[in-house]
Amino acid sequence: MSLNIDPITFAVIKNGLDTIVDDMAYTVMRTARSPIVRDVLDYSATICDARGRILAQAKTVALHLGAVPDAVIAVLDEFGDDLFDGDVIILNDPYAGGMHLPDIFMFKPIFHEQALQGFAVVIAHHSDVGGRVPGSNASDSTEIFQEGLRIPPLKLYAAGQKDRSLFALLRTNVRLPDMLLGDLAAQLATCSVGERAFINLIKKHGAEGLGQYFNALLDYGERLTRQAIRAWPNGRYEFTDYIDDDGFDQGPIPIVCAIDVMDDHLVVDFEGSSSQVKGAINCTLSYTKSSTYVGIRCALGREVPNNAGIYRCITITAPEGSILNPRMPAAVAARALTGYRVVDAVLGALAAIVPERVMAAGEGGNTVVCIGGYEGEAQGQAKTPFILVDMINGAWGGRAGKDGIEGVTNPSQNMSNMPVETLETRYPIRVEEYALRPDSCGPGEYRGGLGLIRQYRLLADEAVLQLRADRAVIPPYGLFGGGRAAPSRNILDPNGAAEALPSKVTRTLRGGEVIRHEQAGGGGYGDPLCRDPEQVAADVANEKISPAFAEEHFGVVMMAGDSAPDLAATEACRRSRK
Amino acid sequence: MKLRGGARIGVDIGGTFTDLVLSDAGGRTWFDKRSSTPAQPEQAVLDGIVALLRRAGLEPADLLEVLHGTTVGSNTLLQQSGARTGLITTKGFRDVLEIGRVRTPDMFDLQWDKPVPLVPRRLRAEVAGRIAADGSVIEPLDEDGLRTAAADLVAQDVQSIAICFINSYRNPAHERRADAVLREYFPDLAITASVSVLAEMREYERTSTAVVNAYVLPILQSYLQRLRDGLLAIGITAPLLVSDSNGGLAAARTAMEKPVFFISSGRSAGVVGAARLGRAAAEMDVVVFDMGGTTASASLVQGGQISRANEYEFRAGISVPARFIKAGGYMMRVPTVDVAEVGSGGGSIAWIDDGGLLHVGPVSAGADPGPACYGQGGERPTVSDANVVLGYLPDQLAGGGLHLDVDKARAVIQRDLAAPLGLSVEEAAFGVREVANANMARAIRAVSVERGIDPRDFTLAAFGGSGPVHACDLAKSLDINRVLLPMMPGVFTALGMLTGDVERHFLTAMPGLLQNLRLSELDRAVADLRLQAAAALRDEHFTPEQMVLAFSLELRFEGQDSELPVRLPDAVLEIEIPWLRQQFLAAYEAVYQYAADDAVEVVNLRLLARGVRAGKLDFATLSITGVAEDHAPASEREVYFGRDLGWSRTRVLDRQAFTGTAHGPLILQSSDSTVVVPPGGQVANDGLGNLLIDLREGTGQ
Repeated sequence: MSLNIDPITFAVIKNGLDTIVDDMAYTVMRTARSPIVRDVLDYSATICDARGRILAQAKTVALHLGAVPDAVIAVLDEFGDDLFDGDVIILNDPYAGGMHLPDIFMFKPIFHEQALQGFAVVIAHHSDVGGRVPGSNASDSTEIFQEGLRIPPLKLYAAGQKDRSLFALLRTNVRLPDMLLGDLAAQLATCSVGERAFINLIKKHGAEGLGQYFNALLDYGERLTRQAIRAWPNGRYEFTDYIDDDGFDQGPIPIVCAIDVMDDHLVVDFEGSSSQVKGAINCTLSYTKSSTYVGIRCALGREVPNNAGIYRCITITAPEGSILNPRMPAAVAARALTGYRVVDAVLGALAAIVPERVMAAGEGGNTVVCIGGYEGEAQGQAKTPFILVDMINGAWGGRAGKDGIEGVTNPSQNMSNMPVETLETRYPIRVEEYALRPDSCGPGEYRGGLGLIRQYRLLADEAVLQLRADRAVIPPYGLFGGGRAAPSRNILDPNGAAEALPSKVTRTLRGGEVIRHEQAGGGGYGDPLCRDPEQVAADVANEKISPAFAEEHFGVVMMAGDSAPDLAATEACRRSRK
Repeated sequence: MKLRGGARIGVDIGGTFTDLVLSDAGGRTWFDKRSSTPAQPEQAVLDGIVALLRRAGLEPADLLEVLHGTTVGSNTLLQQSGARTGLITTKGFRDVLEIGRVRTPDMFDLQWDKPVPLVPRRLRAEVAGRIAADGSVIEPLDEDGLRTAAADLVAQDVQSIAICFINSYRNPAHERRADAVLREYFPDLAITASVSVLAEMREYERTSTAVVNAYVLPILQSYLQRLRDGLLAIGITAPLLVSDSNGGLAAARTAMEKPVFFISSGRSAGVVGAARLGRAAAEMDVVVFDMGGTTASASLVQGGQISRANEYEFRAGISVPARFIKAGGYMMRVPTVDVAEVGSGGGSIAWIDDGGLLHVGPVSAGADPGPACYGQGGERPTVSDANVVLGYLPDQLAGGGLHLDVDKARAVIQRDLAAPLGLSVEEAAFGVREVANANMARAIRAVSVERGIDPRDFTLAAFGGSGPVHACDLAKSLDINRVLLPMMPGVFTALGMLTGDVERHFLTAMPGLLQNLRLSELDRAVADLRLQAAAALRDEHFTPEQMVLAFSLELRFEGQDSELPVRLPDAVLEIEIPWLRQQFLAAYEAVYQYAADDAVEVVNLRLLARGVRAGKLDFATLSITGVAEDHAPASEREVYFGRDLGWSRTRVLDRQAFTGTAHGPLILQSSDSTVVVPPGGQVANDGLGNLLIDLREGTGQ
């Protein structure tokens, strides 16, 4: 730490920034209109310095934030010196700093004494931004122009003046204009909360003094990251994971990751990964980077702060024209799936370096369920549109010394779930089941978490269902002898014809039809025949696994009545398998 | 002269000590501090009351009220020692409790452990029967299935059952019916219907709140019943009031039915007392620090306002109300004072791990066996043992009733810490103190620095038996310059209760657009809540003049999830809707810096009803004549102030007799606690009986 840095002030500023972004995150939740933002928490908030370097990020969607640096570059490229107090800039174009069209970035430059001091940034997933399918999230679009309204970096407010033309354009091109404008207002409120708190910080410490502390903070992040990497053995570590398919006929789709540890620096390369695909799961380079940072960040210590200092220690490349660095006009709406698989591949490669810090593969990323249509009386009145955007998560894989977790966000996200009661109040849909899925875990000495089940019944006359899952063909991997988890399933009308649907679906749903998603569980860690029979018996007692599953995968034979393990029979069974 | 009648007693049970304060109608106070009796916590309470009445020369019939704060609820959760509990839910929703809200407290931490649910999966049963989101019945409740499910749970030895059905907040008929059926068929079971504790949307929050209630209910109920019986047995018929998690008071019978509102009973009362004390002493920005025998807690008072939360999660380690984390822990959606707590207290045991690192807590020697220096069988070194060895604590404690064995304390510290670490006894003891201070600083940081609030702008108000022993060192470690120590710090929480009012909350859902709100309807709702509140407060013996009612209307923009309250004037019929809208927009803009043109919707009408307790204590006029019972003569002893300063010959003065100002090093001794003023500090009596210590450089000698 440099001579002018006082350790208490340093701690106060660091935690002060963390509090600003937490307050921002809290403001979004309190002011947003759509359930996807206010209940599921699909948004993120951050504060950058004047050069666009992330100083702190809220405990929200991790995968958003690694994309912020490229988005800031797009904003600075476009506006450069043309930034003024009261400006508000939005963008969503994946080919100009964005990720996919529903995620609208908002930047508010923060000025103090006529000088640009930083940016308040809020990214929120909007329920609809137009395009061919409600929710603007379909995996079966084939070019970006089908996916909705593309917004390059534009000023929504210029020096405090609302751009009426832009508002009119937005309002006209989306299915739920009030919800979109309501959520934009929440983003704006949040930027203002961040701006006010940031200016208070400047007033207290002075812009110049603060700048020193910001540098110290980024250096601190970099220093801790380099320290951690230096402890890893130099060498090349490779891992390949797969996406089932792109919703057309292409699959499985390889994601090939190679990590080179070079003293205190990492080079991560995705050479050998699939070329860009027809379906909308292409992932822009900025999102590929963001996903890679998340995987590596998990392998660093908890004390490493969440700021741009980390990025200085990692170089990421992916071939142009690949699924991880596509060319215009590739469709990208469901790119989150590819991001999850990048994280899985990175963690798989890291398993050889830091086996005690990674986990076997989790559920494979959240399953996105969009159901959109019109409801209300048809007698002469206009029906009102509705669009449910629901996310199902999740399960973690087994870990060194402990089981995976069930009912948990994918570590790339830190999202929440939409309460069933909220969902039923807002949409003509009834949730018939929301539960753990028995026998879905990958077996291991430390088993994976169970996947989730969510079952919906449409109450309106008709709607478009757009469901994006994966891990139906290639289930989540295990590590160090642990087994794969059960694959995911989509079932139409489960209590009747029980028609199996593919993992990626776009179709019409009729009134009264029921759609059921059974998510994959997490993979196992270590040899399942080494799992403590008492643990297996406890899972049987809790009906998390069946007695048959216990015997088949763990070699544990239960006593009559399934109340306790038969240790002698278990011993014999396990010996016969070795 | 004796003043007959009009006496009150405040009782606060901690993990180590039970504190009691008696005030008579003339405002004179007496206190009693004695070891807690964890197996039967009421025993120490009853013994203490008998002793206090005798010392004050009063009869049981002279008591007007007994006010009580208890850790029975929080200890039950902390030690997972609640009733074996079952949960009955709607078919398809067995796992709502275990799935929770799926977030994690930290990002990028793959080693996180999700807390184990209070009800394991095999004790969670499903019953058919479904209510729709609009409250209509889609499928009738399967009563046969309900009885079978309950019988199955009873066969697995459950003592308590929570019921939470989907959409019961909208139509509670199935839940009420299930409640009645179970009470009829299983009269010995404790039953909690979720709507009886939280009639709000969101199934996880409601389920979890009901489950915590069910889990704690048999324990708290049996405790309060034993206490009531015990009070009657010694001739006390005065009403028993219990402090709730929000710092208000309520009748014991409320606590027995809805224990989930009373989990943080004692510690919240302390914060509320400290905020009142701060106002009396003109200290509006205060870090409240309470250190007892088992835990230490911190809370913030800014501009005289207590920081509060409407939900929190209880977890081991450090317990901090989460504003939007929802990451495991035991979620309760109930109003609470915002307090961070760590497992460090005077009784916390110091130990060395395999790697040779010194730890303090979270295991506490508690009241039994207590620290080694108590000579009651404690064989492991604690924070109090370190304080005795270092000269901070005298050789007499707790009203002179307890002799502290310095040699015993030295021996266990030498054996368990100093020898293995290769340190001198005083160095090891000082290390214990430093580690404990660092733990406790975390609690203060959690409510200040970690929220970007600079504690250096605040005054540290410290109480609890061990608070004044550690306050100055803690303040210094956080660069806080002012320390406020109330009179009777060792029994301050019990004293604080005597200054409190009864609070009851009432709520009516009034969903609809503001523009469609009919004032006549609002007026009817106000009148209805007013009747309910009046009846409830009358039940607690308040006259109409003592009732203060504050109505507010909770509003939000259409489609939002969180409301802001607008305070209603008395004459509801004269309100104009545009005025309400204007009030809401102003409140909204103050918080979020923008206001929209959108439609505003009404959510709830809320009533906070206060019963202003006649004759309650007031810090500004509190007489402490009753306390000065045992003046000790001035003396001196050796005190160790760290490696640099070493041992210093330190004056020891009687706390109650101390007036004016003095410089540290100095120890002010009273029977309920010990105040340590370090070298460089300056202490002054503020004339209200409080001590103010100034720690700025250069103020000392």
